[in-house]
Amino acid sequence: MNVQRILSAVLGIAAGLLVAFVFFGDFQKEDSAASGENKSKAEKVFVPYGELDEYYMLASGGHSGQLFVYGIPSMRKIRTVPVFTPDPATGYGYDKETKKMLGGYTWGDFHHPAVSETEGDYDGEFLFANDVGNNRVAAVDLSTFHTVDIMDLPNMGGPHAGVFLTSNTEYIALPTRFARPLGGEYASLDKYEEEYKGVVSMTTFDKKKKEFDLAFQIVLPPWSYDLSDAGKKDSSDWIVMTTYNTEFATTNLEINASQNDRDYIVMINWKKVEEAVKDGNFDEVNGAKMVDPRDIKGAIYAVPVAKSPHGVDVTPDGTRFIASGKLAPLMTVFSFEKAFAAMEKGEFDDEKFGIPILPYEDVMEREVDPPGALGPLHTQFDDKGHAYNTMFISSEVVKWKIDTGEVIDRQPAYYSPGHSTAAEGDTVEPDGKWLVALNKIAKDNFLSVGPSHPESMDLYDISGEKMEHIMAAPVDPEPHYAQIIHRDKIKPMKLYEKDENRPNSVWSVDDAHIERKGDEVHVYGVALRSRFVFDAKAKRPDAVTVKQGDRVFFHMTNIDLDQDITHGFGINDYNLNFEVQPGQTSTLEFVADKAGTYPIYCTNFCSALHQEMSGYLLVEPK
Amino acid sequence: MKSKLSKVSMFSLIAAAIILVLSLFVPWWGMKFYAPQYPEGLDIIVYPTTLAGDIEVVNGLNHYIGMKPFSNDTFPELQFMPYIIVAIAILTIIVAFLRKKSLLYGLIVTFAAAGALGIFDMYRWLKKFGTELDPAAPIDLDPFVPPIIGENTIANFVTNSYFTWGALLLGIVFLLMVFPLWKDRAK
Repeated sequence: MNVQRILSAVLGIAAGLLVAFVFFGDFQKEDSAASGENKSKAEKVFVPYGELDEYYMLASGGHSGQLFVYGIPSMRKIRTVPVFTPDPATGYGYDKETKKMLGGYTWGDFHHPAVSETEGDYDGEFLFANDVGNNRVAAVDLSTFHTVDIMDLPNMGGPHAGVFLTSNTEYIALPTRFARPLGGEYASLDKYEEEYKGVVSMTTFDKKKKEFDLAFQIVLPPWSYDLSDAGKKDSSDWIVMTTYNTEFATTNLEINASQNDRDYIVMINWKKVEEAVKDGNFDEVNGAKMVDPRDIKGAIYAVPVAKSPHGVDVTPDGTRFIASGKLAPLMTVFSFEKAFAAMEKGEFDDEKFGIPILPYEDVMEREVDPPGALGPLHTQFDDKGHAYNTMFISSEVVKWKIDTGEVIDRQPAYYSPGHSTAAEGDTVEPDGKWLVALNKIAKDNFLSVGPSHPESMDLYDISGEKMEHIMAAPVDPEPHYAQIIHRDKIKPMKLYEKDENRPNSVWSVDDAHIERKGDEVHVYGVALRSRFVFDAKAKRPDAVTVKQGDRVFFHMTNIDLDQDITHGFGINDYNLNFEVQPGQTSTLEFVADKAGTYPIYCTNFCSALHQEMSGYLLVEPK
Repeated sequence: MKSKLSKVSMFSLIAAAIILVLSLFVPWWGMKFYAPQYPEGLDIIVYPTTLAGDIEVVNGLNHYIGMKPFSNDTFPELQFMPYIIVAIAILTIIVAFLRKKSLLYGLIVTFAAAGALGIFDMYRWLKKFGTELDPAAPIDLDPFVPPIIGENTIANFVTNSYFTWGALLLGIVFLLMVFPLWKDRAK
């Protein structure tokens, strides 16, 4: 009886409080505080019309095979640059030169971009790209943002651990992800340890000719190479690579490659390997100079590291490399100096492939394990001695001090960041300004577009002691890594320069002409506002007549030397389109196998009379 | 009446001759074109010997209104301008050394006449280009005469015509030529 009374009294009071709270509670206060904070965040990223972003973010496009260019801090997307994937809008993969460069491939899996470096700092001249899908490496000229060379890499099984560059871009290195028999030949999975290899491709790039060369390849045990980095300053002769699957699992890697408590970080002295190649100590394997680093004294070592590490990143001063544990949730700081001392000391543990193992305790400087921080994947740096780690599983960014391991701040990411990228955050001189977490999961961050979601990127201001989450922006699948480079370091051209000696170019309307050689028809034409001229002397200068089966070449030069006046060139029903940018000459080659009458038209809106910019391709039946 | 010019006047004329020759190397006149799509502006810059600026772009745009394309070849004046300038400079030097006032009057009249002729010639060209528009052009426009100096609006373009460094130098040359008349005026 009493109990019931007390209970109803308590419930009554509680209900009264609830009503009071609901009706009179001052929620407004918090809202206005939040809106004030949002206002100041908005002010940080708003770039007024007429001004430009301070940084470029050059983000890989993952399995889209493209490069995405963003402005930072506005997070506005500026351009998609096709690298491994054809792009009808720009004619990439359609015109003769780029079609040849793509070599029939229709996609690539671009993971890790790297801007060319001089003395460990971005020089902004080129960007290199790896293709995990089809074993290629590509170069994008940052004066045009056009892909200028793609090279196939033999003996590889998906160069996931590239690209990373040595301090002066001596080498663009790409270690393989999947072990595979050399040349990709058939070998039973039962012979995994004997027949399968891991390979590192060391490629060079000639900046003048804009061409790659495969300098040599390094053959390694059939571990999976996950990520890698080159040393800086005193450690610049070295490359470090994380491994997983030291278990040599050949099935269900999820479980079977996660058994060992320790995997390895492989350290290779590329200078020593380079010398050995110069001395002729290599085997020719499928067109590559293959070197076994175990044959070279002091060229290869391994350091044990907590199980299945993901990223390994060298600090800006080049004294340390930091491994991110992924499955063992900690960051391990290794000292190059200690590693060099251990190599000197010469007390190695054995490994079945004969690679000297440096004792963990001798090389490890510190383990950093913020409580509850799970799934560390990658490290970026600022200019004040801090490291920033993305945590995939606990979905956050952790800021900590490299010298002490002290955790300074933790901020959530929305959701599950892979890499992050800080302003010049992997160079010898990070700017310490912005950090973008490249997330794998977006869920309900943006207006829904159904089951296929965009990826999500979080922007943080890292200029203060505490990180500040500023905003999230959607992005097409799927940036893995990105480079944030100051705008002053990139010097793009506005037009292609007029070059009268350029093969196949024509620079005046009067010079446009057609040459016929057997069944080849070469049109030396011009595009200008607002017409095509294929043959200046013809009754209809914008009509071309060929015979069915002729091989037709449209060599088109855009002679409008005016910024942003691009002309497209589409042929009706022929499934062909390309474009010529101001001052550019490009060739479209095809066989006119269908007889008939096909309109040709400018596909890139160029002028008030763009609609009239057209002509005809007439294919006479056989 | 004293008809001999003073030494100061002589130097003034020598300076005039030098500046006149120097003016060959700087632009004399220009026209700047602004449009919504060209906030940075397009330039026609006229040196006494050549055209400069965005000539091809301007020609490309002008074809929409049926204006003839222009280039160095269109203006024969650009070929012989240097000779005229140098000739007047030589005349000026001769007058400076002969130091005769009567010759100076002749020089000033010649210089002024050449200037007036030059301006008339410019007007003639501007009128020709602005009024002889191809009737088959896609955009019909009433014939117009772009001003030698000042603003004009044609379709989406606002043009600004102006005299520049070369013209300023010519002005200085003129002042240096008339200065002896004041310096050695009859007292």
